[in-house]
Order: sequence, then structure tokens, then C-alpha cells
Amino acid sequence: MNTFVQTLVDGIGRGSTYALLALGISLIFGVMHLVNFAHAELITVGAYVAYFLSTRGLGWWALAPAIVVSAVLASMLTERVAFRWVRTASPFTMLLTSFALERLSHALWQVFVSPTKQSFDGPSWAFDTVSLGGIRFEVHDLVTIGTTAVVLALTAFVFRRTLFGLSVRAASEDFDAARLMGVRANRVIVGAFAFAGFLAGVAAVLTLMRSPSAEPTLGADPLIKAVVAAIIGGLGSFSGAVVGGLALGLAEVVLRGYLPEGVFERLTDAFVFVLIALLFIARPQGLFTVRSAERV
Amino acid sequence: MTVAVRVGRSVVASAVWLGLLAVAATIYTSGGGAARDLLVQELLVNLVVVLGLQIFIGNTGILSFGHLAFVQLAAYGVALVMIPVAAKATALPDLPLGLGDVELGSLSATVIGIVVAVAVGAVVGVAVARAGGLAATMITLAALFVVDQVVKNWTELTKGAGGLSGIPRLTTNTWLWLAAAVALIVAHAFRESRIGRFAVATREDEIAASAVGIDLFWPRWIAWVVSIAVVALAGALRVQMIGSTNPKQYTLDVGVLLLAMLVAGGMRTVTGAVVGTVVINVGNEIFRQLGDHYEIERLPELFLGGVLLLVMLVRPGGLLGDADLAGWLPRRTAAPAVRRDAAATATSRPTPPVPVDAERAAAETESTAVAAPVDEGVLTATDVVVRFGGYKALDGARVRVRPGEIVGLIGPNGAGKTTLFNVVTGLVAAQAGVVKLGHDDLTASPPHMVARGGLARTFQNLRLFPTLSVRENVELAATSAARFRPDVAAPDVAQLLADGGLAAVAERRASTLDYGSQRRLELARAAALRPAFLLLDEPTSGMSDRESAAMVDQVRATARNLGAGVLVIDHDLGFITRISDHIVVLAEGKVIAEGRPDAIRQDPAVVAAYLGRDAAGVS
Amino acid sequence: MLRIEDVTARYGAVVAVHGVTLHVDAGELVALVGPNGAGKTTLLNTVAGLMAPARGHVYFDGRDVSGAEPARLVRAGLVLVPEHRRIFRDLSVAENLQLAGVTASARDRALRLDVAKEHFPVLARRWTTAAGFLSGGEAQQLAIARALMADPRLVLLDEPTLGLAPALVDVVFDLLADLRRRGYTLLVVEQNARRVLQLADRGYLLRTGRLAAEGPGPELAAHEDLFGTYLGDAAEAETADGA
Repeated sequence: MNTFVQTLVDGIGRGSTYALLALGISLIFGVMHLVNFAHAELITVGAYVAYFLSTRGLGWWALAPAIVVSAVLASMLTERVAFRWVRTASPFTMLLTSFALERLSHALWQVFVSPTKQSFDGPSWAFDTVSLGGIRFEVHDLVTIGTTAVVLALTAFVFRRTLFGLSVRAASEDFDAARLMGVRANRVIVGAFAFAGFLAGVAAVLTLMRSPSAEPTLGADPLIKAVVAAIIGGLGSFSGAVVGGLALGLAEVVLRGYLPEGVFERLTDAFVFVLIALLFIARPQGLFTVRSAERV
Repeated sequence: MTVAVRVGRSVVASAVWLGLLAVAATIYTSGGGAARDLLVQELLVNLVVVLGLQIFIGNTGILSFGHLAFVQLAAYGVALVMIPVAAKATALPDLPLGLGDVELGSLSATVIGIVVAVAVGAVVGVAVARAGGLAATMITLAALFVVDQVVKNWTELTKGAGGLSGIPRLTTNTWLWLAAAVALIVAHAFRESRIGRFAVATREDEIAASAVGIDLFWPRWIAWVVSIAVVALAGALRVQMIGSTNPKQYTLDVGVLLLAMLVAGGMRTVTGAVVGTVVINVGNEIFRQLGDHYEIERLPELFLGGVLLLVMLVRPGGLLGDADLAGWLPRRTAAPAVRRDAAATATSRPTPPVPVDAERAAAETESTAVAAPVDEGVLTATDVVVRFGGYKALDGARVRVRPGEIVGLIGPNGAGKTTLFNVVTGLVAAQAGVVKLGHDDLTASPPHMVARGGLARTFQNLRLFPTLSVRENVELAATSAARFRPDVAAPDVAQLLADGGLAAVAERRASTLDYGSQRRLELARAAALRPAFLLLDEPTSGMSDRESAAMVDQVRATARNLGAGVLVIDHDLGFITRISDHIVVLAEGKVIAEGRPDAIRQDPAVVAAYLGRDAAGVS
Repeated sequence: MLRIEDVTARYGAVVAVHGVTLHVDAGELVALVGPNGAGKTTLLNTVAGLMAPARGHVYFDGRDVSGAEPARLVRAGLVLVPEHRRIFRDLSVAENLQLAGVTASARDRALRLDVAKEHFPVLARRWTTAAGFLSGGEAQQLAIARALMADPRLVLLDEPTLGLAPALVDVVFDLLADLRRRGYTLLVVEQNARRVLQLADRGYLLRTGRLAAEGPGPELAAHEDLFGTYLGDAAEAETADGA
């Protein structure tokens, strides 16, 4: 029972980060039909900002909001500088643009800051343990799950109850019809990037809390997981992104724990990707359908 | 073009590139230094990979991140069978599959490396080709990561992240130039081959490709497998060039470099791939030296990311766009457009009319003499019901077209006309109803099978192959007809172009034509399929009265030459009245009237449907 | 109120509208009729700001609004009920309406929602239903109610009776008459030419992108060109017989 619960918590902890990132990716896809390969670079931005501030002696009470703010600003910057130019381009061009941006980001950090990992201090309480109902949990896991739950609730609120959220949902479904209602195209897109940046910023805080270091390729691994999670769930679907992210996190942990001994145990990631590829074959549109038929 | 001509052109174009590269390389390396030799070697290896990428990505339009996985598979395959047994005993004591005792020479090892990569690639390719689009790209990404993980973790086989070394360095310059030559020829040849043209069609417009009888799967799969073989060759050669291999050589980072080479010059042509490879390699090297000089690390990566971004934002078609060396080589236009045996060509002109049955001879239609149609069947759709969610688009609609007959399908907006077309041509699934051509039941057939069965269509929103020339648009359909409709006579592409008034613009890009010409091109392309029936969806939409009148003549002439029946939707009732033998009126998903054009005009139900009734219900 | 001067507009590769000039005065109901492919939808889309005219100008209240963003036009008082309605199927009726009030203050928006509930009892009954589940007639009412949420002065309607059964067509026409009574200015594109021309103050007949006729509604309804434009000219029919 103990291992089961710990596995569950571990899986949800990982899955939370994926879910937050996947949500951001799905959000941007909804309004622009762009799969943003550069999205996880926002984590790298947050990491370097945190490193920079911590060398100035600031504690985590300042680092956390700084990470989030920098992620929001960076996200909006990428829209302004790159994605605005390819709004009406082909999916191929948009995909390669975001890919190029991701690589450029890696290179920029490597050239203008440092190619090596820069470590700094995480919050002192991150790895303390807490006993709940006889089971031992690490504080960072609890904080991750708790924060994610709050942020998801906030997201749901924003998208269900606020006019901005309504505008984004409408624009995702029919961009021109939304414009006809009086929604300003730019505001919706920039707003979507900003909110996605906020989600990525939170994901960055949760990740860095556990492993506080900054390096140019920090975003590479979470990116793939997040893109995959968003696609499993169905691009443009919020619940899909969340479910996809959590499922991916759980699958990783479960497979690692329960696969037969030997070679297979080490091939967890490989198995996950094979499963995903099979899913794409069976159901290319993802688990939750959002798309409508093409007009001939 | 015949096979011999195609291969000849490929060899010539390849030879030109090879020659240019050899000259440039000679000049460069004569400056002296092993470093320069190494650079040329690197460039050649990269060239082979990029050409492999071009074969798949350039021709199918599907972005692949996964090709490096197969380069890696080939490299490891070669390494494992070439490393001397003694070295393997110490480095890889637990090698499975008896590989510990195997030690092969360069040629056998290369072949094995390629075979391994292609075998795995063929399986993955099935998923890629079936999925298409973004899903396919994600599958290739998955492949990259799976192979990466397997190599890093299956340490008994691969020694994990440390990689393998000690592979005999047997690759000579000669081998590299030979490989480059082979890759160039294969890339050129594939692009000009029938399956290559089909792949290009799927890239240009999936729906239009299906409508001319092209199955989306096979061209994609074959392009994939061929591309895998080519990149595997590069992988096999490279590992024998540097003598080692490890996972770091096949990361997504390296992938960017290669993709940048592909798109910078223009991914749709071999020319673009070659130019892009050279430019990026040279640029990469310049930035590497700059970085060394100013002691800035990773400057090349900055250059690459920047170039890729710039190209995508400013000129996504690549620096050269569609400019192609191979395209400048003379084409022999005297030869027939499609290779056929003599007997078939003799029957390609219309013969005197043969009444299909007495009833039809005595029927009210006054269409002029028609050729004996190949398929003697009648096209029928009966009791078709289609629901989109809660909305009933078709409610027991029916239509019948006899060979040689022109039937107009009219009705107010939203009546279901295009939906009926889509059901007949296989794009939309009906909840009920049957579609038959003669005795063949086409009801649940996919669009490409419907096209092969003898139904060609045009689209309301015009679907051409935009970056291909006018001639190529028609030739593709003709090639498809030759391959998939062997029982019908060969289409004469030149004649079709002339009939459509397109001979003067035959070499221009389809997207640059004026609207009226584009419409006529779509018709000519449909005719090139030698169909038994033409389905035209609003062919005069957006045309002036004069152009519509010309369209009447063109449709009539086309149908007559083919001996085909025609089903045409249009809102221009003047056009419909002049062209149709018989009119069917659809409203709210049902047939409300049908008959001769002049009778239809006076039918109160029809007038009401179009002009409406006033508040008192009077029309 | 609205003046369209010599507007030429494209739809993809086609020039769909050639040098059309027309005007709508305050309080009028003006009908725009013509067969399909005549360019009516392209014209309305251009006026509403979805695309800029290739040539010519659009003036609203004397100001040149050619090519202005739809959002700006909505704030100025010009709203389009698009062809096929284009309601947001994943959003509820209430959410569709709320969104349409995006240009208003929160208080005004709430007030207008109440007004909408009152004037469209059908919608009030389906307030929290996802719009994708509405019937054709309900969807059309939602589309019109949405337009009113912006408190417009000029409402453009593109084929409001498209795909509706005859009984529902009556409902829509009643709605249009009601709107005119309440002071809205309307420019209506309709397939149901005879009916809308009877209701209209004035009408314009569009044919292959050009203005073919104009005049007071009832006069245009009886115009000889109308029949020919829709059902083909008699001369052309004779050609088919004799061919």
C-alpha cells in the first residue's frame, strides 16, 4: 500500500509539470494552430533568472514570482518577435519556426551565458519529509500537487468565467466569428501566450524547486513530454492536456516500477513512446476530439 | 517520359552537381591541410543524409525528425559486425545474438547496416504513412527517442552512452564521392518517378490527389523507405570514416543542422538540397572558426538556429524556391505523354455512336453523338441520407446519370448538393443509401478507389496542385489513369491542354494562373483520368457571363471526347439550362423536381424554392 | 449611415465584387438579392471588416472604415450576422451572448443579457445548453440575439433563413420586421428574394459581382430582371432547346 501511494504521488507529481506545460501548448494551438516547440524554453528562462537572482542573495520568496513573471514576458516576446510573422503560414512552416526558436534559444544561452550547468540553492524545506496517515511524503511532492491543483482550478475559472477566457475559447473554435463579435485578434493571441507563459512559469518553479540548476538545454526533455501529452489529449482540449500530462507522468513511474527485470526496465521511456506512437496510429486526433470537419 | 529518359536525366543532373562539387572541393583542398580534407568529407556525408531527407520530407511535405534514428541504427549495425572479435571480447563481453564472433569486411558490413535500418524503418514507415500530417511527425519523433533510449540503455549490445569505437576506418574519398553520386541519382530519379510524382501530389493537396486516384499510403511509404536506405548509407559510411559512434552524434541538435540544410536551399528540389547543404556547411565552418578566433563557444549553433528561423519567417520556400537544375534539361515532348502499347492508342479517338439501348435512343435527351463509353454502366445514387450531428443534410436524395448524358443538379443554398457529390465521391459517409456505377457498388469506397472506378470530380473551392506546372497537374492525372485504369484509352495530355486553352501557359505554375484558367485546368485534370463520369462542383463560380458561356463549350467538348456522363452543380442557371440534358432540383436534402430545363424553369415548386414565396405563400 | 462606393473585393483568386456602389439610410431595411455566386457574402464580409476592399471605400456615419478591423466596427455600431450563423457550438447560449457583449461594460452587458432573455424566450429556455445542440431555428435566433448584444445601429444579415423550414422562415421574417420597428437599420442578404423585397424599403440586385438593378422593394420584386437573373434568361433557355 505504501509503495502504491508513493508511486501514485510520484507519478502525479511528475505528471503535474507535464500537465501544466501541455495545457500551455494546447492553449496556443487552439488560437493559432501552432505546436509550439519553443514552449518549454520558458523553463530555461525561469531557471536563469532564478540563478541570477540567487547569486544576488535573494531567497525563494522572491525567486518564485520572478520566475513566473519572466516566463510570461518571455512568452509574449516570442509571439511578438517570431510567431506573429507566421500566423497565416502552413503548419509545416509554423512547426519549423517554433523548432528553430527552440534551438536558437539553446544557442543563445550557450553563447551569451554559459554552456555549463549553474546550480543554485533550492528552498530549504523541499526535501523534508512529512508523515500523513503513516505514509512518508516529501514536501516538494505535496507542494507540487497542491500548487498544480490550485493553478488548474484558477485556469478553469479564467476560461469558464472570465470574458478573456470566453474570448480564447471562442477564438479557438472559430477565429473569424470571434472577430465579428468584437474580439480583438491580437489581444486574444497575446493573452493566450501570456497565460501559457504563466502556466510554464509555475511548472518551472515546481521543477526548479526540486532540482535548482540552470543550463541551456533544460527545456528539451520536458518539452517532448509536454508536446506528447498535449497531443495524446487532443490538441486544443484543456481537459485532454491535463489528462494527457497526468497519464504520462503516471505511465512513466508505473512502467518503471512494474516492468520485468533486466533490459526492459531501463527502456521505460522507449516503451512510453512506442505506446504513444500506437495511439497516434489508432487515433490520430488524440483522446479528446476538438476538431471539426474540413470544408471541401 | 519513358523510364530510360527519366534515368538519363537523373544521371545528367547528378553528374553536373557532382562535377561542380568536385571542382569546388579540389580548389578548396588544394590549399592544403588535413582539416580541409575532413571538411569536404563531412560535407559529402551530410549531403547524402540531406538528400535522403529531401526524398521524404521534400516530396511528401511531412516533417520528419526521426531519420537520424536510422542513421544511428545503420552505424551501430556496421560497428557491431566490423569491430574486431578481440576488441569486442573486452569491450562488449555480453553481446547477444552471437555478434561477438562476427567480423565482416567493409562492404558486407555496410550492406548489413543498411538492411537493419531499412527493416526497422519499413515497419515504422507503415505508421508514418498511414498517419500523415502532424501525427506522422510525432511518430518520427517517437522513433528518434525510442532508438536513442534503446541505444543508451541496452548496454550489453551498445555499450550505452559511451558508444562504440575501434571500427576500422576504411572509408576513402572514393567511397564518399560514389555515395554522393548514388544519393544524387536516387534523389533525382525518385522525384521524377511515377511514385515520386504521386508523393508530390499528396504533398500539394491530399484531397485532390485522392480525387485523381492516388492512394495516400503507398507513395508516402515508399518515399520513406527509400529515404531511410539513403540516410542509412550515410550512417554506415560515416562510422567507417571516424571510427566511432555514440548517441551524441544523433541527437535532435544534429537534426537541426540537417533540417537547416534541407530547407535553406528549398526542400522541394534536389537543387535546393544541394545548395542548402553547401551553404550551411560553409557557413557553419565559418562560424566555427569565428568562434575559435574570438573564443566564443557554440557560435555555429547560433548561426544555425538563426538561419533556420530567418528562412522560415522570411522565405519559407527556401532561397531557391522551386528552381531546379533538372528542370532545365530538355524534355522530349515529341514522345507520347504516357507510355502505352500501340493497340490501346489506336482506340483513343471517338468512334461513331452506338446506342446503348433502344430506350435511351428514343429518350428525350438531345445530346450529340457520343463515343462508345468504356464502362457501360449508369451512375446512380439512391435514397441517400446524411446527418451532420442533428442536422439532416440529405433526406433520401437520389440522382441518376446515364453515359453520355449531362445532368444538372440545382437547388437553393444549403440544399445538400455538394454533400451529395461528396457522398458519391467517397469523401462523406452516408448514413443510408447506395451509390452504384453500373454493377459496381461504390457506396463505402474511399475517394481514390472511386476515382479509379471511373469518377472524376472538380471542387467548389478549386483544388489544384499549386506549385506544380499546369502540364504537371494534368500529367499526374494521366499517369494515375495509366496505372490504375489500364482498360481505358490513354489520355493525350497535349490535346487536353489545347482543348482547355492552356497550351500557352503549360509550363507556368498553376497558382499563377488567372481564375478562369485555373477552373479550366481543374476540368482538364479531371478529364485526364479518362473517367466514365465527370462530377463538376460549381465550375462557373466567380466567372463572368462570357467565361461561363465558354465553359459550356468546354464541358460539352470534354464530355463528348471522353464519352462520359456529367453531373454538374452550379448556381448560374443560365449555364445549367444551356448545358444540361436533364435537371434535378434539390431542396432541403430532397429532390423536389426533375425534368427538361425548360420545364424546370416553369415548375412552381422550383420557382418558389429559388425566389421564395411572399408572406401569403404566393410565389 | 452606410455608404459603399465603387467597392471591388476578392474572394481567394476570384474578383467577387466589381465596383459596387450602394447606400443604407438610418431606419431603413435594405435588401440585397441575387443568385449564388453573385458576390453578396463577399460584399458583406468586406463591409464588416473581415477583409479589406481591393478598391473603393466603405463609409459608416461619414467616416472611412475601409479595411478596419471588425472589432472597431462593432464598437462603432456595425455588426454582421454571418452566413451559416457561425455560433460557437462548444459554448452555451449564455456564453455566446456574453461574448458578443465583449465591447460593452459589465453592467451594460448584464442589462442587455436580460433584454435578450426577454425578447428571445426560446433562448431563455435553453440558456445553459451548449449552442451545438440547438436546432436550426434556435441557432438563427441566437445569431441575431448575439448581434444585438453589441447594441448596434446597423445590422448586416447574411442569409438568415438559410436551411430553415418554412415555418421558421416566418419567424425570422417577423423578427426582421420587429427589429425595424424597434429602430435598427438593416441590410439583409436573402435567398428568399420575393419575400424580403416585399418587406424592404429598398433593394439591390447583384449579378456576377455587379449591380444589375435597384429600387423600392416591391417594385424590384416585380422587376423583369429578377426572374431572369435567378432562373436564366429566356433567350438562353431557347438556345438549349435548339442546340
